[in-house]
Amino acid sequence: MQTITIKPKKEIKISVEAENITPDKLAGKTEQEIQSMEAWVGNQKTTLGELFSIRVEGSAPAAETKIVMEGDFARVKRIGEGMTSGLLIINGNVDMHLGNKMSGGNITVKGNVDSWAGREMKGGELIIEGNAGYYLGAGYRGESCGMRGGKITVLGNALDFVGEHMCGGEIIVKGNTGILPGLSNNGGKIVIEGNTSRPGSEMSKGTIIVNGTVDEMMPVFKLEGNEDLGGVLYKKYTGDVISNGKGLLYVR
Amino acid sequence: MELIIKNGTVYDPVKGINGDKTDISIRDGKIVDKVSGKATVIDAAGRLVMAGGVDAHSHIAGAKVNVGRIMRPEDTRSGIKPRTKITRPFTGYTVPNVYAMGYRYAQMGYTTVFEAAQAIMKARHTHEELEEIPIIDKGALTLFGSNWPTMDFVREKDMDKLAAYVAWGLLASRGFGVKCVNPGGGEMWGFGKNVNGLDDVVPNFDVTPKEIIVSLMKANEMLGLPHSLHLHCNNLGKPGNYKTTIASMELANQVKASKDRQVMHVTHLTFNSWGGTNWGDFESKADEVANYLNNNDNVTGDMGQLIWGSATTMTADGPVQYANAKLLHAKWGNGDVELEDASGVVPIYYVKQISVHAIMWAIGLELALLTKDPYKMLLTTDHPNGGPFVNYPEVIALLMSNKKRQEEIKTLHEAVHARTKIPEIERELDFGEIAIMTRAGTAKVLGLLDTKGHLGVGADADISIYDIKPDQIDPSVEHAKIKSAFSSAAYVIKGGQVVVKDGQITATPPGRTYWVDASVPRQHTNEMMKDIVKKFKNYYSMQLANYMVQDEYVTHAQVVKAGAIPVEVN
Repeated sequence: MQTITIKPKKEIKISVEAENITPDKLAGKTEQEIQSMEAWVGNQKTTLGELFSIRVEGSAPAAETKIVMEGDFARVKRIGEGMTSGLLIINGNVDMHLGNKMSGGNITVKGNVDSWAGREMKGGELIIEGNAGYYLGAGYRGESCGMRGGKITVLGNALDFVGEHMCGGEIIVKGNTGILPGLSNNGGKIVIEGNTSRPGSEMSKGTIIVNGTVDEMMPVFKLEGNEDLGGVLYKKYTGDVISNGKGLLYVR
Repeated sequence: MELIIKNGTVYDPVKGINGDKTDISIRDGKIVDKVSGKATVIDAAGRLVMAGGVDAHSHIAGAKVNVGRIMRPEDTRSGIKPRTKITRPFTGYTVPNVYAMGYRYAQMGYTTVFEAAQAIMKARHTHEELEEIPIIDKGALTLFGSNWPTMDFVREKDMDKLAAYVAWGLLASRGFGVKCVNPGGGEMWGFGKNVNGLDDVVPNFDVTPKEIIVSLMKANEMLGLPHSLHLHCNNLGKPGNYKTTIASMELANQVKASKDRQVMHVTHLTFNSWGGTNWGDFESKADEVANYLNNNDNVTGDMGQLIWGSATTMTADGPVQYANAKLLHAKWGNGDVELEDASGVVPIYYVKQISVHAIMWAIGLELALLTKDPYKMLLTTDHPNGGPFVNYPEVIALLMSNKKRQEEIKTLHEAVHARTKIPEIERELDFGEIAIMTRAGTAKVLGLLDTKGHLGVGADADISIYDIKPDQIDPSVEHAKIKSAFSSAAYVIKGGQVVVKDGQITATPPGRTYWVDASVPRQHTNEMMKDIVKKFKNYYSMQLANYMVQDEYVTHAQVVKAGAIPVEVN
């Protein structure tokens, strides 16, 4: 077991890109080695050691590595990018692109995350105890597939376009979401416990379940009747009928 | 500046050199007989030496390439390489940025590339991009197939005016040759329709695709242009289209060549050699097309080989792109160039286990292997329609190694066995034949054989040296080595300057832009311009005065003079 503790040395005001902070890249490395790894502040190249204080206990492969991040990372982007295994715990807020393209392992954030968290992720689990920004589990600009596998759980709220272009995997939002969750979906499952508006336009496949109220329905869904899902009666819609979609939308 | 390449194993089919050890002398950007003792020596040490590669059909610049870039930000994020002291940044795979176009071609040993389609109205954009593509020489073919003036003059059977219009259109677009895409179809697409055969009548113009093709070939030969008509056939992308393709090729018999070359070049035949009646009974008819080429000397073609993975289809064939976007549920970019043509851009992903894709992969290779004379079948991927040009080394390796093909076939959809002939074809091309398909042949088809595609005295000093010793390698077995050597040349010399060493760019001189200035009798131009002025007054949304590409847009021009008609002095 290897535990790596990372704390900001001082308040970070200019955004940092720290895609090296993943169990895959830090496992088995010493404090000095990690301190000399590259990071960017704005358009300036720097090292992780310049920005963060780093403590390492033990040495182990990525699967048995735990990274604990203490403090405010609200201007630190791309944490956990492409991780395949291990554990990443963040006791604070983080910036955009958390865990993008991750395919395994587990990320837990005690605070809030900014937009594009879990974008194009293929596997693993992402747990956000606070709120999420826009495009949670979506595809980045131009991608035809967003999230393809794995699971994202948000205990708070999420903003617009949850799971846009999703092709697989599961997103659960305990709170409310902004407009158009599941836009252009081609697979996967989104469960919204709270309220939302205009879910699931341009869907061709996939499932959206809304347990709260839907402020506004898109007129492109066809009501198929009622269906019982685990003891709860939902109105079942299919669509988007304009693009001949086979997506499923369940609303209470 | 003098340079001498010693101890190379040279393949120069034009001069009949097939693997001989000869030295190549270079002075002031040209290949010469001999140089003084002060010349810089490059020791090729037995390695493969060829003329710089020439690509006759690739989409490297212009409006639709840029639409592809705008539509595909995800493509731009792949292939990123930061700038260095010498090179600017690289981005993209199927639609690279302008700099990467030049750098990546140069790294493969290519030194001349032709953009396959520009509308006259969009030509300024094409040249703005061509200007920024480093190292390589280039040029652009101009679209004439669905232009209103073309169709008017064809209907009126006024060949003098048509020839004058082609000459003026080449000048206006600073274009190199006559491209004709799905003739008549671009106009029909303006009404949401398409032409379905060579004898369909284009409404409002009362002409058929057949008449357009034959008339443009005649105009092309009247003007004595270096390149022939460059045809993208009707019915592209529809099963059973090989019949239209062969019927189009037969039209070449109606016209006599003005020069020692074909009268018609039919491009990206992978997309035009389709049998069957629908996607279910889709099959390869590459053998029929190759057979036609084997028995006729006035037509050439190029492969348009399909490459697995991501591609971006882009063409002036608007209707076929609408069909593609619907079929694939893909992003669709549509363009209309007023009075001139249509266009469309659709991303695609070619998958080994999809029967249609597996058969198309086989068609390209069948075309190259069943056509006996490599001068008649050039190597292209119709970049980026069949796949990006950086995959040419993969295609070379496939053509040189039956073993590689058989290994690949094992991973493909089973349809490749029943509906193509590729599993039984054992032919393996040699270095000389590859040199023809990528250099000598392409230069000949383009009409540039005096200075490009060979290593004879007087040729441009565009030379590539690859890290292979032809006498010590069996390409059939060591196909991986062939692929890696052609991907990253040991040396590339462009215009007498070393631009690539060990696969790395060492210098980035600007390339030249070829265009054709064809003269026609003054009174023909005057008559023709009366119609053009009327078109601008009544239909175009822009002014005639703003139409021409000015010389400021072509700062390194290489003007090729043409014009067979005697011109009166005035």
